[in-house]
Amino acid sequence: MSVRHAVLGLLAQRPRHGYELHAAFEAVVGGEDNWDVKPAQVYTTLTRMEKSGLVAEQAVEQDGGPEKRIYAITAEGYRALKDWLEQATASEHQRDEFFLKLMLALVSGAADPYGLIKAQRAELYRELHAVTMRRERVDPAKELARILLLDKAAMQLDADLRWLDMTEGRLDDILHQPLPEPEARPRGRPRKARDQ
Amino acid sequence: MALIQTENLTKVYGQREATVVALDHVSMSVDAGEFVAVMGPSGCGKSTLLHLMGGLDRPSEGSVTIDGKSLSSLSDDALSQLRRRKIGFIFQFFNLIPILSAVDNAALPLLLDGRKRAQARDEASEWLRKVGLGARLGNRPDELSAGQQQRVAIARALITNPMLVLADEPTGNLDSRAADETAGLLRRVGKEWGRAVLMVTHDARIAAYADRIVFLKDGKIVSETHLEAQDGQEAEALAGELRAEKA
Repeated sequence: MSVRHAVLGLLAQRPRHGYELHAAFEAVVGGEDNWDVKPAQVYTTLTRMEKSGLVAEQAVEQDGGPEKRIYAITAEGYRALKDWLEQATASEHQRDEFFLKLMLALVSGAADPYGLIKAQRAELYRELHAVTMRRERVDPAKELARILLLDKAAMQLDADLRWLDMTEGRLDDILHQPLPEPEARPRGRPRKARDQ
Repeated sequence: MALIQTENLTKVYGQREATVVALDHVSMSVDAGEFVAVMGPSGCGKSTLLHLMGGLDRPSEGSVTIDGKSLSSLSDDALSQLRRRKIGFIFQFFNLIPILSAVDNAALPLLLDGRKRAQARDEASEWLRKVGLGARLGNRPDELSAGQQQRVAIARALITNPMLVLADEPTGNLDSRAADETAGLLRRVGKEWGRAVLMVTHDARIAAYADRIVFLKDGKIVSETHLEAQDGQEAEALAGELRAEKA
């Protein structure tokens, strides 16, 4: 995802001032606690998109005060938005810090892998409890964005817990395997072919 | 104060080579107002633990004490009466009587205990209203959704004013929404209505409604997790949330 697509979506709703965009983004995601984007990012993105023709200055307000630019989405920008919206979104499964901890514990012996799993399980349950209690307090009719993210958080924590159970079951097998080592590769420049 | 306590609770089935140790010296307790979840893989002994705590079976070794009374010191009749009056049971498959209305299903435990029909139905109606079924008093189980049926079962479990509520996989037969509602209701049974609640479950999202989770494996407790942040931390977390909500 990028800030770019968010800006396009918000401008598709209506043309806006640059400074209004940041506030509009926070409103649509339900608050900066849900999704944090710096105002500077929004401005940089806006400038870049103006250069590539996805947005354009529509009018410049002058009500006696300083000039304010209003930006609007272009036809090309609208096409780009539609493409992004209609394309299925890929899921992210990599870069899991606990997975890395477990692998490093296995190769270094610096911690007991079963102990790591137990501690992680306790932490995930505490998080799931906190999310669950918060969900009980939110009114779905009034805070749609928040409840959607809380539902997602609960389900992902549940999935993480089930993965932990499965991994714990696999540990016995894993501990009898040789540990992962990087493959040795020849160093230096490749030698020239003898016969030319 | 621990309302229910087990001490070295053990249950062994079979003899000699065919011996199965279903529960192996389990000691734990649940206080009034506490909501405890018991989890573990199939065959870990969680259902056995629940049955022994409910006096539905007698242990091979060890004891169960409810409100200061050891269950092993009770005769079969006294045990039966304790079960009827002090303990409420909730099961996975609701176990409602198909030909009775919600009110009559909920009133049943009082009727079996010798109360007058009119009074029993009044109290049943009261509890059904408390669990949100005020508009369904006259409906039979086949006219209710699974979630509603489980709520009738919860009202029935509470009608004798028990101090302990035992639930065995109460959401096993419910969809996500009904499961969440049931777990939320069980939490209220503890927090709002002050009972000790113990729930066996294999669903992590449902266990997360509890105050504490006890993990069993091969008949033994292998760990225990407190889910609420301890005192100071909870206040800090709440304060942080209120600040964010105001912004």
